[in-house]
Amino acid sequence: MKTKSILTILTLLILAIALSACTGGSTVVASGWASVVADEDTAYFAYNNYVYAINLANGSERWRYPDAPDAAVTFYSTPALSPDGQLIVGGYNHTLYSLDPKTGALNWTYDESTGRYIDSPLITANGIFAPSTDNNLYAIGFNGLPLREPFATENELWATPGTDTQCECMFISSMDHRIYSVDATSGAQGWVTDDLGGAIVGTPALSEDRMLYIGTFANTMIALDADSGGELWHFDAQDWVWGGPAINGDALYFGDLSGAFYALDRQTGEMLWKVAPGTGSIVDTPLVVDDMVYFTVEEGLLVAVQADGSISWQETFEGNTYASPAAAGDLVLVTTSQPEALVVAFDANGAQKWIFSDAGE
Amino acid sequence: MWDSFISIMINILLYIYAFIGQNFGIAIILFTILIRLVLYPLNAQQVKQSGALQDLQKSKKWQEIQKKYKDNKEKLAQEQMALYKEMGVNPFGSCLPTLIQFPIIIGLYQAIIRALAVSPVQLLNLSHHISGGADLIPLNNHFLWMDLSLPEKDFGLAIAGFGIPILAIVVVVTSYLQTKLMTPPSTGSANDQSAQMTKAMGLYMPIFMGWLAYSFSSGLALYFVVSNLATIGQYALMGRLDWNNILPQRASK
Repeated sequence: MKTKSILTILTLLILAIALSACTGGSTVVASGWASVVADEDTAYFAYNNYVYAINLANGSERWRYPDAPDAAVTFYSTPALSPDGQLIVGGYNHTLYSLDPKTGALNWTYDESTGRYIDSPLITANGIFAPSTDNNLYAIGFNGLPLREPFATENELWATPGTDTQCECMFISSMDHRIYSVDATSGAQGWVTDDLGGAIVGTPALSEDRMLYIGTFANTMIALDADSGGELWHFDAQDWVWGGPAINGDALYFGDLSGAFYALDRQTGEMLWKVAPGTGSIVDTPLVVDDMVYFTVEEGLLVAVQADGSISWQETFEGNTYASPAAAGDLVLVTTSQPEALVVAFDANGAQKWIFSDAGE
Repeated sequence: MWDSFISIMINILLYIYAFIGQNFGIAIILFTILIRLVLYPLNAQQVKQSGALQDLQKSKKWQEIQKKYKDNKEKLAQEQMALYKEMGVNPFGSCLPTLIQFPIIIGLYQAIIRALAVSPVQLLNLSHHISGGADLIPLNNHFLWMDLSLPEKDFGLAIAGFGIPILAIVVVVTSYLQTKLMTPPSTGSANDQSAQMTKAMGLYMPIFMGWLAYSFSSGLALYFVVSNLATIGQYALMGRLDWNNILPQRASK
């Protein structure tokens, strides 16, 4: 009888492991997706169960939140710093957290969302605007209380809205294939585009001359008139365009999932140059610092390209990355999926300065 | 190789999804039935072979050689092989169809899981499998009261204030029915170890499947239900269901 029970339990256990393996991992490890945000001396990022603060000088840990891992709390999104000194980070557990950047102490939480936070909230002088997978953009005051009813779209929101300080507008990219223009003060909708052909999960980029740029899963980069939402031009990429574009003067930079990285004339949409230095996908928004363009490739590659398209340097690192590189003083920081190298810091010449690890002893 | 196979399965699933008006629940149901229909000849062959094997093992001749050579394993094996040959039964005849079906069933299962892509990394992975059809993304995961991408424990239907895991219950019931209806009568004695094991599995397995249905994406649970019903239907078509296993037995006099 004992043997029978043991055999039954063993069989069920083997089956459970097999089925779990077949799902490709039902539990979501929120890894390598969140980028870094930094102030003068500290970098903040989120990985799996923690939000970390790291000393920019040497990559040592200042604090982590929470102190002990809580299986119910995971993070996917990049933290954001508010002008009044809060660190805001959205959890994959439907909760938005406000932390003290100095100590990691919890200020408040906001639990109204029924969806997950995939990207960081947009923070303006008006408040905190958090995109959620429950289709809503939540407007929250700096005290953690709602400012008004959330702005609803037809599908999930995976990207930080773009912003326009001139008109105090926000541009919300939605997986319903549309861009919404919303007044940040009143929450009223301005314009909304027609179906742009594919889901949009990148943050729109706005130029000084009020052109709005956004990539779609329909393999396109589209330029819109920021005042009317009308299409100005569109460019056909090789694959889905996941991340938002970056603007530098008259150039527009972005990558696609085929691994191609493009520079376009942002007025006309004509391609200036294209490079494909890696083998994996490009899902991040490029970083532009002093006319140098930095982007990452999925397999663990940081590339620095000059404005004329020549690759200045490229450095590999351990683990996959899906996050945009971030500038912090003289450093360029990338996050990875590997606990052994959660954040890797490079200088402007591509030399590795330090690695932050949370792999334990 | 395996990735290419999964890509084909995912694209068929998405084609069905687009064809029927973008309802992923109905797409899962039709896709599962389609794959079961494709596998029907193999399944029928497997059932036929295992039925022949069971009939042989119940035969008088088989029982006789078991008794006669119970102390001589080598001779017993020789006699059994001779009997297989004489009756035209291949003892491994039901294995090959099962082995061929197995990767297809796993592929079906993986195609559903990967297409459900909830997190960014999963969606990125899905993008590598899709040829065209980016306009279908994100998939409409809402079916009846369910969000197919979430486990039922996250949205369980509340009736009179209580969360009732309806889908998990349906999985348990259909798994139980499938096991009971398809289990052939034991050829051994009541104390036979394998018979007891089969009986225990018949009880634990449906509960285990119910737990999986409750914990994993409900799209997977929907697949379990359709798969169970399709299997029962297949066996019914082949006349291999044993209704006595679930009907109340009359007490023997």
